[in-house]
Amino acid sequence: MWRRRGPAQRPDQRALHAGFAGPAGLALLFLAVPVLALVYEAATAGDVGDRLTNEQTLAALRLSLATSTLTLALALVLVTPLAYLLARAEFPGKRVVDTLIDLPLVLPPTVAGVALLVAFGRRGVLGSPLEASGIELAFTTAAVIVAQLFVSAPFLARSLKAGFEAVDPAYEAVSATLGVSPLRTFWRVSLPLARPALVGGSVLCWARAVGELGATLIFAGNFEGRTQTMPLAIISAFQSSDGLAGAIALSVILVAVAFALLLLLRVTGVEPRARAGS
Amino acid sequence: MLRVDIGLTIGAFELALDFAVDHELVVLFGPSGSGKSLTLGALAGLRTPKRGRIEIGGRTVFDRALGINLPPQRRNVGYVVQQLALFPHLDVTANVAYGLGGLDRPARRRRVEELLALLKLDGLDRRMPVELSGGQQQRVALARALARPTDALLLDEPFSALDEALRSDLRAELIRLRAELELPVVFVTHDLREAHLLGDRIAVLDQGRILQFGAREQVFRAPASRRVAELTGVQNIFRGTVAGGRLEAGGLPLHATVPPGVDGAVDVTIRAELCNLRRFDPEGPLPENCFVARVTSELAFGSMHLLRLAPEAAGVPIEVEIATRPYEVLDVPSREHWVVELPAPDLHVFPARTG
Repeated sequence: MWRRRGPAQRPDQRALHAGFAGPAGLALLFLAVPVLALVYEAATAGDVGDRLTNEQTLAALRLSLATSTLTLALALVLVTPLAYLLARAEFPGKRVVDTLIDLPLVLPPTVAGVALLVAFGRRGVLGSPLEASGIELAFTTAAVIVAQLFVSAPFLARSLKAGFEAVDPAYEAVSATLGVSPLRTFWRVSLPLARPALVGGSVLCWARAVGELGATLIFAGNFEGRTQTMPLAIISAFQSSDGLAGAIALSVILVAVAFALLLLLRVTGVEPRARAGS
Repeated sequence: MLRVDIGLTIGAFELALDFAVDHELVVLFGPSGSGKSLTLGALAGLRTPKRGRIEIGGRTVFDRALGINLPPQRRNVGYVVQQLALFPHLDVTANVAYGLGGLDRPARRRRVEELLALLKLDGLDRRMPVELSGGQQQRVALARALARPTDALLLDEPFSALDEALRSDLRAELIRLRAELELPVVFVTHDLREAHLLGDRIAVLDQGRILQFGAREQVFRAPASRRVAELTGVQNIFRGTVAGGRLEAGGLPLHATVPPGVDGAVDVTIRAELCNLRRFDPEGPLPENCFVARVTSELAFGSMHLLRLAPEAAGVPIEVEIATRPYEVLDVPSREHWVVELPAPDLHVFPARTG
């Protein structure tokens, strides 16, 4: 077991820390109360178990996990080289690219959905050539992934770019003088040293994909078993005869799964290789 | 053998160098910004010169005219950068073995063991870089640079982050290693004492040019120019003139070898430790280059004293360095007046810089 070393407590900062404890507690309360209320309501309602075994819920949950995971995988493959280039290479239009990456972060997801539909929909700019080659995107499971990728990949790109920038180029230079090719240097040095950014960015990216609603609704629609992810299922439940009760059960399931996965990532991913203290 | 003749431009800075290093340790000495690190970068293949040729270990690794430019990974150069750059996510063994991908596992382990023994790192093989002291990190960086077959070793101010005791340990180590390795070693430093201690030969760099390249003693005793004298810490630099074969500098009439053709304004230099201090005898004769002077201030550095003496007749103050023992034997504080001798062989006369 390795020791966790916190920052040393300075006596002269005690008053500051005590003063900050008030607002910090309020913030924590604000974040915790809705989640706890959800859990409490679900527990007293007692139908979470039934909902979980409900075929529609299971399908939505499976779809959410599958699409968000695929989205993350795709984002990792596509965005990692982009982030590295932005951090290390000089090329014309670099600032434009940098800004373009930020755009999906500030766009409302519904706008993203409309934009995707205009681009890849059947009547979209790229729709007809895609259709001609037998690919139909809109209102399919693939569209769910495309929508999630569009809104969530920028989170990974931002984080990884900052992570690569924080890696001293001297490490890569030394690696080269030790006879190691640039590509192998990337795998052996640059990527491992950017690991906290990689994991942090992945968590953000995945979480954003799981929560994706607006763009999915417009570009992929709300079809049970095909494009209905958990957030869409919750909206559907909320608007159905079941009302709030159904939404609560589904929400608490999503919260539990998301929490478990985040925790798993934190524990396995962020902390560096454990070492016995000397 | 390492041979360089390159030109390189970065913005307004221009580097133009031509030198060769045999199986010896050459110190690139110069102020910060003189192009020392840039030179190492060009040798290692991390910077591309705009003209010239680099030959390392009998191979041409760079030749602009022939279009040869081997990447760093094919230059067989051990390079220790100033910040060391030990891979923080790898332990000592993995750091040292980093470049040994071509060997099988047992051979790699043997090589790492050899290097850890060579650099007195035994027992630290499983430590992470953050768990090492500054001196140990330094040794690991050296071991890593030497792990692969190397045709030259480049060291960029490797001891700059260490305290004085550790530095002298490691310098001694480097002197031992240099004898064992039989490699050209290029050592960059802006530390005068380090340059003097380690360099078989010293290249004095300033603003991207080599001002002087020669044996250590030669560079220190006989600077090639006023600028070299300044950079190598010569304390006494006097403005003067040569007129009709007579030399006068800082208001002192001097006798020294004046290079042929030098006439008019000159600079005259002499190191403080090469000036002689004698007891003043009012009855005795005053030979040439000797001046009666009064101690006006002094600095004690422990092992030596730096005295500033003002000549009784005309003349600028002269700085004289004297070791502590002779200082005590002469009992310098007991007298006010002394004779300072500026030995002619150690006086150097240069035409004055214009502008």
